[in-house]
Amino acid sequence: MTQSAYTVTVAKDLADLIPSFMNNRRKELETLRAALAKSDFEELRRLGHRMKGAGSSYGFDLVSTIGKAIEDGAKTSDAAAIASNLDTYEDYLAKVEIVYE
Amino acid sequence: MSEVSARPRPLGLSSGFRVLIVDDDPDMSEFLAHMLRAEGMDATTATDGEEGIAKVYAEAPDLVLLDVMMPGVTGFEVCSRLKSDEATAMVPIVLVTALDDSASRVRGIEAGADDFLSKPVRREELIARVKTLRRLHETRRELERRRLAAEVESREAIRRAFSRYVSPRLADRIIEDAGSEGELFSRRAQRIEVVALFADLRGFTRITERTEVVEVVAMLNEYFSILTDAAYHHDATIFNMAGDSLLVGFNVPFPQEDAAERACLTAQEMVARFAPVATRWEQRYGIATGVGVGICMGEAILANVGSPHYTSYTIIGNPVNTAARLMQTAPANEVLMCGSVYHKVRALLPESSVEPRGEVTLRGKEEPIAIYAARVAVSE
Repeated sequence: MTQSAYTVTVAKDLADLIPSFMNNRRKELETLRAALAKSDFEELRRLGHRMKGAGSSYGFDLVSTIGKAIEDGAKTSDAAAIASNLDTYEDYLAKVEIVYE
Repeated sequence: MSEVSARPRPLGLSSGFRVLIVDDDPDMSEFLAHMLRAEGMDATTATDGEEGIAKVYAEAPDLVLLDVMMPGVTGFEVCSRLKSDEATAMVPIVLVTALDDSASRVRGIEAGADDFLSKPVRREELIARVKTLRRLHETRRELERRRLAAEVESREAIRRAFSRYVSPRLADRIIEDAGSEGELFSRRAQRIEVVALFADLRGFTRITERTEVVEVVAMLNEYFSILTDAAYHHDATIFNMAGDSLLVGFNVPFPQEDAAERACLTAQEMVARFAPVATRWEQRYGIATGVGVGICMGEAILANVGSPHYTSYTIIGNPVNTAARLMQTAPANEVLMCGSVYHKVRALLPESSVEPRGEVTLRGKEEPIAIYAARVAVSE
C-alpha cells in the first residue's frame, strides 16, 4: 500500500536527532530486506520490535505500525505479509515530509 | 559505538543526577538521553547488558533506564544481577518494555525493577517517572547523609570520652568492638590476667608546701602529661589518677601478648622523660623529685565499679595492691617489679641495672614473691 505523501510532525527540540534517525531507518530497510531474503525470521522479529519502540517515540507513528506488522509477520513466518510491509516502508521513507513544531 | 556519548553535555545544566541508559538501539538511547539532558540531568549510554553492568560499577549512576529486549544478556538478567549485589542493589532501575507486553512487567518485578516505562516512550511519562525516582533518590541520599553524620558524631563522642582513659589507637579498637560485638564496657565484671603499673612522684609533697596553688596545678599537669603520653605510647589503659599517683593497666581491655614488656618500657619512658623536668624544678625550688614505679602482674577483676551516680572503670585485686605497695617503696628513678614481671622483661634490662630486693608475702597468699629493682639511667 502506498500513498502520494506522508507528513510527520516532530517536536522542534528533536530536530538535531532526526537526520541520524532517518539515516538509520534507511539502513534498517536494507537489513530487513537482507533478512527476508534469508528467511531470517528471528532477525526480522527483532528489527520489527525495535522499529515499534523507536518510531512513535520520535513521532513517526507509521514506523511503529509497520514495525509491529513485521514483528507479527515474523512470529508466524509470513514472508508475504512482511514483504508487503517492507514495500510500504520503502515508499514511506522515500516520501515522508517532516514538519517541526 | 553510540553516537550519543560523543555529543557534548550541555554546560551548566548538570545537576549531578546521573542516568545510565542501556539500550541496543542507538536511536532509543539518543532519544532518551536528549530528553533527560533537556531536564538538566547527565546521561550516559551502554549498548548491551554487559557494558551496562560494567558502567553501573564504574560510574555508579543514580538511575538506570534499562531496555528489556537486547541481544546477549537481557534486561531481566542485568536487573537481577544488579539487584542481587549489595553494592548496586540500591541503584533504581526503570525497565523499558513494549506497551503491550504485560508478561515482561511480571518478569521485571521478579527481577527487582523499581519502575517501568512503555515503548514507544511518551516524553511526559518519561520525565514524570524519572523525576519521581529522582526525588525519592534525593530523599534517600539526604537521609543516608544524616544517618552517617549522626554515626560519625556518636563515634566522635565515644572517642572523646574514651580517649581520656586510653590511647587514641585503643579508642578506635574499642569503637570497632562496640560496632561488632559491643558492650565491652557494659558487660559484667570479669577475671582477667593484668599487668598493673603504679607511678608517683617522689619529693613532690615538699615542693607543694612552698608553692602557690596555681603553680602546683600547672606542675601536676606537666607531670601527668608526660606520664599519660608514655602510657599511651605503649597502649596502656589509664584507670586512676589521684594526688600525684597514676594507675595504668596492660592486657586490658584487649589482650596484649607482650603486656609485661610494654609495662617495663612504659616505666622506663616515664622516668626518663620526667628527668629533665626534675632537673628544672630542682634548679628552681632546690628540691629533688623523680618518678618511682611499681609493676606487678596476676589475676584481677575488671569492672565498672561505683554507684548509679558515679562509676569508674577499674581493676581490682592483688596485682594492683602489690604494684601500689611496690611504688610506695620505690625511690625516684627506680622501677620495682614482682618476679613474674621481671622474668618476662629481663632481656630488656641491662644486667647491671637490676638487683633483687628479697621477698614479700602478699595478703591472702601463702607463698612470698620475689621483688626486683631496676634503676633507670637518666641524663642529668
